[in-house]
Amino acid sequence: MKWNDMVAMSLSSLFKRKVRTLLTVAGVVIGTCAIVVMLSFGIGIKKTTDDMMQSMGDLTVIQIENYSPSPDAEPLDDAMLEKIRALPGVQTLTPMFDVDSSAFQIRSGKYVYGGQITGVYMDALSEFGYEMEAGKLPEGTVEEGAILFGKDALYNFYNSKKNNNNMIYPEPDATGKVPDPYVNPMEDKLELVLRKTDDNNKKTVKPIKLKGLGIMAQDWSKNPSPGYSVFMDVKYARSLVDQYNKLNNIKVDKSKKFQYNGAVVKALDIKSVESVQDSIKAFGFQTYSMDSIRESVEQQTRTIQMILGGLGAISLLVAALGITNTMIMSIYERTREIGVMKVLGCVIGNIRAMFLIEAGMIGFIGGVAGLIFSYMLSFLINTLAANGGGVMGLGAGGQISIIPAWLALGALVFSTMVGLVSGFSPANRAVKISALTAIRQE
Amino acid sequence: MGLIRVEDLRKVYRVDQEKIVALSRINLTVASGEICCILGTSGSGKSTLLNIMAGLEKPSKGRVVIDDVEVTALSEKDLALFRQKNIGFVFQSYNLMPTLSAIENVAMPLMFRGISKDQRNREAVKMLHAVRLGNRLLHRPTQMSGGQQQRVGIARAFVAHPKIIFADEPTGNLDSKTTKEVMEIMVGMAREYQETLILVTHDQDIARYADRIVTIVDGNIQADHTNESAFPAQRQEKAQELTTVSGGKAE
Repeated sequence: MKWNDMVAMSLSSLFKRKVRTLLTVAGVVIGTCAIVVMLSFGIGIKKTTDDMMQSMGDLTVIQIENYSPSPDAEPLDDAMLEKIRALPGVQTLTPMFDVDSSAFQIRSGKYVYGGQITGVYMDALSEFGYEMEAGKLPEGTVEEGAILFGKDALYNFYNSKKNNNNMIYPEPDATGKVPDPYVNPMEDKLELVLRKTDDNNKKTVKPIKLKGLGIMAQDWSKNPSPGYSVFMDVKYARSLVDQYNKLNNIKVDKSKKFQYNGAVVKALDIKSVESVQDSIKAFGFQTYSMDSIRESVEQQTRTIQMILGGLGAISLLVAALGITNTMIMSIYERTREIGVMKVLGCVIGNIRAMFLIEAGMIGFIGGVAGLIFSYMLSFLINTLAANGGGVMGLGAGGQISIIPAWLALGALVFSTMVGLVSGFSPANRAVKISALTAIRQE
Repeated sequence: MGLIRVEDLRKVYRVDQEKIVALSRINLTVASGEICCILGTSGSGKSTLLNIMAGLEKPSKGRVVIDDVEVTALSEKDLALFRQKNIGFVFQSYNLMPTLSAIENVAMPLMFRGISKDQRNREAVKMLHAVRLGNRLLHRPTQMSGGQQQRVGIARAFVAHPKIIFADEPTGNLDSKTTKEVMEIMVGMAREYQETLILVTHDQDIARYADRIVTIVDGNIQADHTNESAFPAQRQEKAQELTTVSGGKAE
């Protein structure tokens, strides 16, 4: 017997019992739909959280915070940074040395910069992936007085000659144009002035010339965000602080070792983040990375996926029982037909194949219909979620239900398999029917 | 040697503790092209004999050899293949597939053989014309009368041109007029294609269509004689010769 004949026979007996076939298929449709939609949630949730974290920060970056170092811990100084740099899996690092903004001022003519300045390893910045809007990131050693401005930090310049608030902001004005900041560090002259704490201090203060290297683009995934930062070489920044202390006769407590406020470490890849982070913790520092959040979120997502998938699996199991029942009923009804076919010379293998095809077809048709429904449901859910603005705090505007190709294909294969497995025992029952008893049956 | 050889066939059914002897000891040889009627009352064992000959049932003792193949020794799978190639069936209750059209019903044995749809449908149409149902090709069994259904059944039995056709009370459900029609078609086709027809019936009138009448009583062959009364013109000489040769009489 040819395959196409067997398929045709199976189909004709399916179509003959339309209502029952439809109901059985509906079971598979619901089961498939449940599994696919549930899994698509899991995938969507995972993707949304991944995207969210990607936008929140570089996954390979580890922050070291040193706000309240314990007294007996090793200090976070250059020696310690070299130790961390030597850890396997570390690509590069930089300290974060926040300069007290009251210590000195950056000026450009009448304009004064009123924000924060951070001392960093200037040569490490390019490896952290900082982007420039103008100028270039320094490579190798930098000259004294080299300075990098963040795009938005430039708006912290204000006119010191006027008393009223004359700050401008990087927002469109009435004409819809974003105003340029007062100062362009690439062209305008920049100088740094050490401040005096005491107006009676008679020492003369000579302004120090600065050289603007470039303007950094904004990147919210970095911490600190470069748009709002002003970077200079950490050694130079420290020497300026020393000068400031000397100028104002500030005594530094020699017993207290120098410490950076923090540092940022970049791991070679996501895999090494965990081990590097553990090693830094072992030195006694508090660390923070996207990876640690990611793990807990992933754990949560997995749990949700498993619960949802389990629900789907239960519905498909019920559907499988439905298929088996339908097939057994079908065989009871067709006992006589099966007997006649056997008498007329239909070999056992063909009879088994026909029933398996029939059961597999129920699974397959159910799978196809279930997939179509799943795509529709998924579309509906995503549309609703987008309009509702992130139901459950998930994926505002994003997709919370994603059906990738592998899931669609897997669902088809799986539903067909469910059909075949459910049809296996009925098919064998059909094979065992005695031809003689079957044709005698009235 | 005959086409069908039945040797020392015995069949005992066991119902609870009781033994029921359906066939006690049957010896029978049927020649190729012979139209042989097995005549007996109900419970005589005639249907059991047919079923064992067709390989639908296993004997308790003895064997059936068809065309040098020991049918009683074949596995179920081989039996199916054997029936597919060598045997056609006409049933009392027609046993047509209710969902299939006349053409599809007739083409079924060819489908089991793996013959393409075009070819088997051509053959089926030819056969349906032969049984004078050329105007009922696409009808389903439920849309046809009993006589028409049985003619479809006959077309189905003959379509693959098997060596042997077994017919078990083919007219049992038909009235006398339709019976005559159906018997003439069936016997006519068997003669035309020179096929061996084994006809099982309890009806003396139907037995008249056969070349040879084997009467079974209580699981034994009581009489085996050439039928000279009916259709002498059509009867083949060979059949008559063989009757004397076949030593299958159980005196």
